Amino acid sequence: MTSSSPASLEKLVNSQSKFTKRIMELRLSGNLQPGVVTLLVLFFCIYASYRSGDFWSALNWQLLVQPLAEAGLVSLGMMFVIASGGIDLSVGAIVGVAAVTAGIAAQHKLPVQAIEAAALAAGMLCGAFNGLLIGVLRLSSILVTLGSMILFSGVALALSNGNSFAGFPDGLLWWNDAALLGIPVEFFLFLAIAAVAAVLLHYTLWGHYVIAIGSNPIAARYSGYPVALTLFGVYTLQGLLCGMTAILLVARLASARADMGQSLMLMAIAAVVLGGAPIVGGSASVIATFVGVAAFYIVQDGLLLLDVPPFVQYALTSAMLLVAVAAGNLLRGSREDRR
Amino acid sequence: MTPLRSSASERLRLSIHPHETKLASLLLVLGIALAITAPRFFSSVNLALLARSMGVLLIISVGMLNVILAGGIDVSAGATLAVVSVVLVRLGNHGLPASVVLPIGLLTGATLGAVNAALIAELRIPPIVATLGTAGLFRGLLLEWTQGEWESSIPPWLNAIGSPRWGGLDASVLAAALTVLAATWILHRTQIGRALFRFGDSPIAAARIGISPRQPIYFAYISLGILTAIGAVFYAAQLGAVQGNAANGYELTVIAAVVLGGADILGGRGSLLGTFLGVLLLCSLQQALVLLHVATFWQNIATGLIVLLGVILSSAPRLHRKLLLQQSPSA
Repeated sequence: MTSSSPASLEKLVNSQSKFTKRIMELRLSGNLQPGVVTLLVLFFCIYASYRSGDFWSALNWQLLVQPLAEAGLVSLGMMFVIASGGIDLSVGAIVGVAAVTAGIAAQHKLPVQAIEAAALAAGMLCGAFNGLLIGVLRLSSILVTLGSMILFSGVALALSNGNSFAGFPDGLLWWNDAALLGIPVEFFLFLAIAAVAAVLLHYTLWGHYVIAIGSNPIAARYSGYPVALTLFGVYTLQGLLCGMTAILLVARLASARADMGQSLMLMAIAAVVLGGAPIVGGSASVIATFVGVAAFYIVQDGLLLLDVPPFVQYALTSAMLLVAVAAGNLLRGSREDRR
Repeated sequence: MTPLRSSASERLRLSIHPHETKLASLLLVLGIALAITAPRFFSSVNLALLARSMGVLLIISVGMLNVILAGGIDVSAGATLAVVSVVLVRLGNHGLPASVVLPIGLLTGATLGAVNAALIAELRIPPIVATLGTAGLFRGLLLEWTQGEWESSIPPWLNAIGSPRWGGLDASVLAAALTVLAATWILHRTQIGRALFRFGDSPIAAARIGISPRQPIYFAYISLGILTAIGAVFYAAQLGAVQGNAANGYELTVIAAVVLGGADILGGRGSLLGTFLGVLLLCSLQQALVLLHVATFWQNIATGLIVLLGVILSSAPRLHRKLLLQQSPSA
């Protein structure tokens, strides 16, 4: 900056403006975080495969995609919740309620379809309860779901009496055992639901409403959008997806317990945020959410193969979330409101 | 400028008044119900137990109130509590004296709070995301350090802190009372305390009247860290044993108590009296359910319902403020 000759100064200014222009272009190109995360994960994959021969084995990826699919379903629901400007802390408890309901249904020797329907209905009912309080009574989502998380975990414990259920029919365990072309069928279910979510988000009026409410709820209300009904739908969908996750979890573990989905809540929020969705709402992308979930599970699995102690894995995946969000913030510029 | 500000704070205090009245009447209803169903609840032994069970929660809730007033949230408080408890007990068991261990514990709490504040203020990570990340980070590193093992004995001086004196009360009750008194003075009589309300209400408006956009965040999270560390002393002392997984989910109880006390999760509104009543309501409910021999899961259900009820009760003034916002042309 201390240059004295006007020519070089002009050059400096020009180059600087070109540089700022490029930065502006980068910023304008929208959400960069999925790209950054994908790149980081690719580097990590190269390192992991260099250090561990098992990383690219088919078995590793088969084992990897099953928990990924379960967390992915909840994350898709959380994507809609966060896009609508809310948050759902009760997803883990809802998964618990749905799993226990499936367990009770199995105990009564109901057919497989009835067990699945019971789990889905239980999840939807819990989600609808949240949706009623948040959408219709217009209460704050974080507070409502904090309360309902405690409530639902109590309900799950009361329903199961603290016991765990086993003895599920083979038809239900099919979700875990079946594979197509060597890929577990759970993963295909996740992809199918992701496709449905993308259609809902981009090609339906409801998806448009969700984004509109997330970006400015007052404007959405003034525009005559059905805010209450839309939010009710968002939380009910989240409940339905939690029910689906519960079925997959029950099938994989061949048992059902009240505290089954406990770790899923933080994982789902972290995955959506890792994909670059602003926590204040108004933006959503199915691909970004997919990248977020996949990044978490791939890195966790890689760390496992690299013999990193499990607790350090936990710390490192948390640190990854912080680094990715900080990097995304710096790239995007810091104009946005922190809340 | 000055008279305007004080009148605004008067209005603020008046407008949160109704929620505390509602909470107090809820407590009264609970009290009457208990007087009929379980008169033992009001025995001096049980009331002393209730006071002891409230101490740690109240101390940490005051810190969480600071954070929520500043428009933030901290879901890493449980992890911080566990880290400080383990630090205290481990160093104490190595034979270090209390005069060394206690300052180190407080410093640890303040440092962890400062990490949260730096992520939020400097790197502009939204509070819930930042503290979600640090919760995993702190907990993971703590578990790696302890390798999941229990510290099954605590040093004698820590045991002495936790043992009941003064008619069944222990030092945690005294510490909680002092904390509330100090917080009352800081929140209402000092510049930084009043800045916390302004900043939480609207960071932009606060910046226009010269409040730093960083200072309130650092103050809120570091004070929560220090208060969590103070709480950890009594937590470890009362339990008599700690492990890396201690206080898992404790932050949600703390947030529930503060929210039940009528603090607005969007910041700028809340009171110490409300927080105290929230803690009192949660703790006496749990104590009462234990006395009535109710199974644990019914306690969860009752707690969840009470929190939801508190949210519904406190939503009335919030809706009112929204209407005000909609009417003003600049909003």
